[in-house]
Amino acid sequence: MIYLDSAATTLQKPRSVAEAAARAIRTMGSPGRGGHSAAMLAADTAYRCREAAAKLFGVKNPESIVFTLNATHALNIAIKSLARPGSKVVISSFEHNSVLRPLYSLGARIYVAPSRLFDPEDTLRSFEMRLGGAELVVVNHTSNVFGYILPIREIASVCRSSGIPFIIDASQSAGILDINYAELGADFVAMPGHKSLYGPQGTGILIAKHGNTLIEGGTGSNSKLPEMPDFLPDRFEAGTHNMPGIAGLAEGIKFVSVTGTSKILAHGRELIATAADGLRQIGGVRIYRADNPGNQAGVISFNIRNVPSEQIASELSARNIAVRAGMHCSPLAHRTAGTLEQGTVRISVSAFNTKKDIYEMLRAVDEISKKV
Amino acid sequence: MVYYLIICRSLTYAQTTAKVLERAGISAMVMRPPVKIAEKGCVYCVKISEKRLREALVTLNNAGMGHGKIYILYADGSGREVTA
Repeated sequence: MIYLDSAATTLQKPRSVAEAAARAIRTMGSPGRGGHSAAMLAADTAYRCREAAAKLFGVKNPESIVFTLNATHALNIAIKSLARPGSKVVISSFEHNSVLRPLYSLGARIYVAPSRLFDPEDTLRSFEMRLGGAELVVVNHTSNVFGYILPIREIASVCRSSGIPFIIDASQSAGILDINYAELGADFVAMPGHKSLYGPQGTGILIAKHGNTLIEGGTGSNSKLPEMPDFLPDRFEAGTHNMPGIAGLAEGIKFVSVTGTSKILAHGRELIATAADGLRQIGGVRIYRADNPGNQAGVISFNIRNVPSEQIASELSARNIAVRAGMHCSPLAHRTAGTLEQGTVRISVSAFNTKKDIYEMLRAVDEISKKV
Repeated sequence: MVYYLIICRSLTYAQTTAKVLERAGISAMVMRPPVKIAEKGCVYCVKISEKRLREALVTLNNAGMGHGKIYILYADGSGREVTA
């Protein structure tokens, strides 16, 4: 299979990820649940993963690295720690439902900062115009539909100077773009482990310094007390850890750290540029490509005339090419780009894709465009 | 042998404490202390040799790390809190 759906989950991982997960199943107990060797091996592995993540994301203290089930779980903790019913919350017009739905569920007053696709200056201006009275900002680092890189450093700076708490959704950027938590000064950064950090599904990370619990239960600490610990990471980690996932994630992060995000980013950009150049040559194809390639990473969307995007994805799947079509759980992004009715066909790459994969995809799209 | 146990608020904090001490050449082991000295239940501690306590506390202080109560643990398994 040619797998071009890494914005959902990376399928090809470093071999060490699966090996570590398998080893964890065979050898590890639960961290914080005993002093025997199986529990302590799990504890050492979890700590190693926290340390590696802390180093990669400029976090001073490994205690600030909280393991979650995925980015959605992490975002829910973050959002429900900082927003209340009626809170004015400003979000970008590229947010995923993992941001929109928790805010909607809370009854927050959601202010979408509309801006043009691939226009960071317009995005920043739009945020600045809406921050008066805002109690929280939640911003997507990179759009999962279009690969648009939002100006989070600038938005972070404005939030810091205005004293507005802010959350960064790094679902599509963690492992691809530089993220320095200390420099950004965000309250929370949420990310999946199973996308560009190359960990197994069922892993995510929340970088945190405080907050409210989403679930309560055993933590292996302060057990005589009925309330959850007030220290991290225990406060947010009730229940048994996903040690196969965490062991695999530690190896995934190691792969990213050793390879380097700049190299991974450059590789992804080269593949996306190749895809864009090829798609432009195919009759009836409309692509969503930044004029400045520096504003796009790892993802490109396209459509063929008015053909439903799901039909194109289905045709590609029949040729053993995996892409994602439809709304990508991001109706806001599609409304912004004017693709809410048709959706888009999304190609998203990983460090393991090659130009050959892209050429195969282009050949297939060319064939499909003549057929549909 | 006689050891000191530095009580830590969490497993992760104990691991960080041990790491800081190990980096300074002080052998440190993360373990669960006897239940009777774990006031809030289920805590972790860092075990260090009797001779390295003062040095360990200076190292932690220099690293900006606080610590919980300190216990001395005797060879027969009994122990008592000490003031640093």
